Amino acid sequence: MIKIKEKKFDEIVDSIEGFKKILVIGCGGCASVCLGGGQKEVERLCVNLNQFFQSEAPSRSARGYTIERQCNIAFIEETRSFINLFDAVLSMACGAGSQYLAEIYPDTPIFPAVNTVAIGIDREIGVYEEKCRACGDCVVGYTGGVCPVTRCAKGIFNGPCGGTNNGSCEIDKNIPCAWVDIFNRLKVQDRLGNIMKIRPTMEWQNQTQRTVVQNR
Amino acid sequence: MESKAEICVEQINAIVNEKKQEIAMALKVCAHCTLCADSCFLYRSREQIPEYMPSHKFITSLGVIYKKKGKVTREELLLMKETLWKRCVLCTRCHCPLGINIPNLLAIGRRILRSQGIYHLYSEPEKMNGLYREESILEEIK
Repeated sequence: MIKIKEKKFDEIVDSIEGFKKILVIGCGGCASVCLGGGQKEVERLCVNLNQFFQSEAPSRSARGYTIERQCNIAFIEETRSFINLFDAVLSMACGAGSQYLAEIYPDTPIFPAVNTVAIGIDREIGVYEEKCRACGDCVVGYTGGVCPVTRCAKGIFNGPCGGTNNGSCEIDKNIPCAWVDIFNRLKVQDRLGNIMKIRPTMEWQNQTQRTVVQNR
Repeated sequence: MESKAEICVEQINAIVNEKKQEIAMALKVCAHCTLCADSCFLYRSREQIPEYMPSHKFITSLGVIYKKKGKVTREELLLMKETLWKRCVLCTRCHCPLGINIPNLLAIGRRILRSQGIYHLYSEPEKMNGLYREESILEEIK
């Protein structure tokens, strides 16, 4: 799922400077699962903001509301009746959710309260690891289930590069070389032929906004 | 931590009244045809346990809140939390031939629970209940 992390409090406060009534909108989807922007986090941010406002600017206030998903109009709609009561909105959803809010409410200033970090997996509760960059042209079928775009610092398709050092990446000895992992995994599976052929560079589809239309 | 405050019936009814027609119509027209169940991947992958049927999920949660006119206990809402969060991922893929928007109704149910400070906490370890599923796959392979 998408993994997000709350922005630093100072950055959040800076972004909403000058706005009196703030609505913090949480997301019950991925943001909630990765403990970044669900109802609990919304309530906590509201408490912190109101405490800050009390000491700095008593006329300002923050209220929280969590919808099931900010990437679906059906769920955003329930905020329509009260969104106009607020001067600005802090979105605790991923970049997609906050942009969709901004699209639905063009007159309301929307500010992200979180950074969208990755598409990743749950190592344990609260520990998440990036696994996919959503490049749009998955190659893990040829690379033993290890993504060179995400795992390799250079994102190279025909590795390893000259910087590989006893299984580590040249940028940090604690980071394993993705291409060594790819080689080892394919060797165990007797599929080394998969990386013998030179793969052409990717036609980077993320240069333009992508749209997915599934066959139903 | 979940709120232990008293249930606010007025707050619940304010949400119910906002969607009253939709809820009443859904409860009235549901023919219990079970066709929604066929389009629910959770129902299909959970050995077709009736509790996973989309219609069952909304009748036993929002349906109960509506019929009791919001006069529900925290314990009842906590039971509904299991239904609304653990038995539904709001993928919005369930289909009703009579046009009932089931995911929308389940979302209203979640909204009511959220208004009372009751919601699923992902920071708590999950009790894995998928064991029977694993066994069934193993049996299938055999």
